[in-house]
Amino acid sequence: MSIPFPSEEWANAFGEAVNQNEDYQKHGKPWTFGDVAMIVRAEPAAGIPEEAGMILDVHEGRCRGVQYIVGEGKANAAFEIIAPYATWKEVIEGRLDPIAAMMQGKLDLRKGHLPTMIRFVESSRALVKSAAAVPTQFPS
Amino acid sequence: MSAIELAPGAESNAFASMMATLVRQNLDDHPDRAWALKLARGRVSVEVLDLGMSITFVFDGERLVIYDGIRGIPDVRVRGTAELITISSNMESLPGIGLPDPRGETNQKLAKALRSGELELIGAVRNPLVFLCFGLILAV
Repeated sequence: MSIPFPSEEWANAFGEAVNQNEDYQKHGKPWTFGDVAMIVRAEPAAGIPEEAGMILDVHEGRCRGVQYIVGEGKANAAFEIIAPYATWKEVIEGRLDPIAAMMQGKLDLRKGHLPTMIRFVESSRALVKSAAAVPTQFPS
Repeated sequence: MSAIELAPGAESNAFASMMATLVRQNLDDHPDRAWALKLARGRVSVEVLDLGMSITFVFDGERLVIYDGIRGIPDVRVRGTAELITISSNMESLPGIGLPDPRGETNQKLAKALRSGELELIGAVRNPLVFLCFGLILAV
């Protein structure tokens, strides 16, 4: 059964998918730099009236917890990546590489240390790609 | 006046903005590399072939200005995919020496890409100083 994106249920399923992703466990092993938030911009026309996001408490290749947040500026994570809903859809469906999307400005690192993100580029990619394992229902 | 600037119009190129942020944060983390900015003179272009994007780094011995597209005749041209361009900041160095470690996973991937032509470094041998300085300020 598909899970609506974005939602608390989807965020929890994403956290579980991260912990089942062997690629992330390998590349994320040295990651000790704090939590990572994936944030969807407010887009009322797409059924997202307020900014919403998933904060992943990732540490040494594991996701220790997930928080779903709704509202402007509620994330307060060490790293915050924000994008419109349509971009996240492309990334989750595996049609857009997250690193290429950052270079194109489609994904924006709103907060966080870019050299660290680049140093852990494989880890970042594997983290985001974990979402592909979540059966997702996108708003029409 | 900042030592690292975006040329007028380059703000709209997300890759140029990303590189400016990367260099600024990198030099904040490694002030011992500031000499590279003072020593470098010349132009280095970076062409991301799969995304159809390019930028030019112009070093004048005091400042680095990053332009959208190819600006003038570059002394060094770096051409490759987004993946290869990104990981080239992650080259592994030999401890204490600073030279590339041939055993490094990233270095081996880049060497293979250079041999196959997926990654091109045009003019790097003729202009080693500007290329070395360029590599140093981008290394994470």
